[in-house]
Amino acid sequence: MADEADPRFAPVSFKDKFVIVPDRWKVDFMVSMGELSLFFKELKENAKLMGTRCPKCESVYFWPRSWCHDCYEDCEWVEVSQRGSVTMFSRVDISLTDLQKEVPFYQGGVHLDGVRYPIVAILRNVTMDTLYRGMRVRAEFLPADQRTGRVRDFYFVPDT
Amino acid sequence: MKKVAVVGVGNTSFKSRHIDKTFPRLAYEAVRMAMEDAGASKDDIESVVYSIYNDFFEHCAMPDHHVHYLLGFARKPGSRITTGGATGGYSIRAAFAEVASGMHDVVIVVGVEKVGDVANVIEMVKSITFAADPFFEYQLGASPAGSYGAAIRWHMENYGTTEEDMARVVVKNKGNARLNPDAQSPMEITIEDVLKSPMVIYPLKILDHCLNSEGAAAIILASENAVRRFRKDPVWITGIGASTESGRQAERDNAGSSLFPAVRISAQKAYEMAGISDPSNAIHVAEVYDSFSGVEICLYEELGFCSWGAGTAFLRDGMADIGGKIPVNPSGGLIGCEHAIGATGVYQVAEIVRHIRGEAGSRQVPGASRGIAQSMGGARGAYSVCVVLEG
Repeated sequence: MADEADPRFAPVSFKDKFVIVPDRWKVDFMVSMGELSLFFKELKENAKLMGTRCPKCESVYFWPRSWCHDCYEDCEWVEVSQRGSVTMFSRVDISLTDLQKEVPFYQGGVHLDGVRYPIVAILRNVTMDTLYRGMRVRAEFLPADQRTGRVRDFYFVPDT
Repeated sequence: MKKVAVVGVGNTSFKSRHIDKTFPRLAYEAVRMAMEDAGASKDDIESVVYSIYNDFFEHCAMPDHHVHYLLGFARKPGSRITTGGATGGYSIRAAFAEVASGMHDVVIVVGVEKVGDVANVIEMVKSITFAADPFFEYQLGASPAGSYGAAIRWHMENYGTTEEDMARVVVKNKGNARLNPDAQSPMEITIEDVLKSPMVIYPLKILDHCLNSEGAAAIILASENAVRRFRKDPVWITGIGASTESGRQAERDNAGSSLFPAVRISAQKAYEMAGISDPSNAIHVAEVYDSFSGVEICLYEELGFCSWGAGTAFLRDGMADIGGKIPVNPSGGLIGCEHAIGATGVYQVAEIVRHIRGEAGSRQVPGASRGIAQSMGGARGAYSVCVVLEG
């Protein structure tokens, strides 16, 4: 039986003499994280941030990458610092994602100590007035029983 | 390498909804206009490059091969480029390479997009954000406005750009659109109107955003051997430069004075190829990727129209107005004319060609003989392509 709310089986509608056919793409995924798996495992089980280090140039990558794009060497896993600095930021007043329930929220770049590149992150306990470039922040994790092993298990707060 | 010219241009009008036309029909109308403009028939076309950004907009994972045969090109080579907002620029580059290499003498670039078939704006933005880093960052609420908003705020902090300055870009581009019969959003508005519109992601308000458009554009490229077959004077592509940066925007947070390194590099390559050492004096007209108002101010600097941090003064002094030193987005740009994403970079080149030919009507930049079209896409301008055109 077709789901009545499923637009794929709904009747066409009309706008003047032109016809509109409702449709939907629904695609489920089971994404294999392969060589990146340890990041998700340590996040969920131990609230650790795992990055990688190139044995040749010693660049540390977070988000982890399993090979160094400069040296073409395989990287090794290292735990990275949970502290860093804000690089850029903005306030989201309208989000067209499920994060709309949290607006206004703050989003920015965070450059973890000792890591080569900043990452995009969600910032909490801040406002446009208190945020500044270079602000020190630290990672905060959801409690173990709420962690799902996904990137929203952690966010950044002022490191005071 | 053979010299390559644009010999024909065509585009549909741009609207939020072409309820009366499918995307193949929009493509057909632009192609037919480009052929009429060139005095060409479809038999002249040896190869096709399709500039179609997003599978969701066209409701098809391989939309190009459902247009190709309807345009009468079955059994000819046809391929598709998709690089976000730079889809048009990169498509032109691919077609340029086919001609410059001697592989083909005449190639058409067909850009089309039908965004309104995605059910609503939430679904539309969702489809765009499926381009985020698929392993880590995709669940962190990143969006096109967020990626540019943080960079513009950085520009405000460093160079004193204000929300009013950004509003000036909107007033200019929507005002220019009033001179363009194909434009989607001609408006006579004030800085106040822009400042009063709802905030989306600081400092970007609704009216600071580009349009969502449906429409198509096509251009025909010909080799120096073939240009005489066509009825209008050729407009030569004398420079083309491209750059693709990291797909993770934050990796560029510490890039220094250049917030959009891909733009700077693509412009340098294009200028170098065209033999331009001082773009601020060499360029007569520009169509640039004003995805958000403040971005246009940054682009004046990245494209070398003025020095770092001088973009705001360049705007305030009217240098980017029609009648200014380098009119920017006389068509209305993405804010005033259109952003039918795959069509955008193609339309930009068509617009510059019209100015160089003296066919731009009431928005004509007088005496323009050299111009640049710049498109970019991906997270905070990860892709950029610049095309320099000369009469």
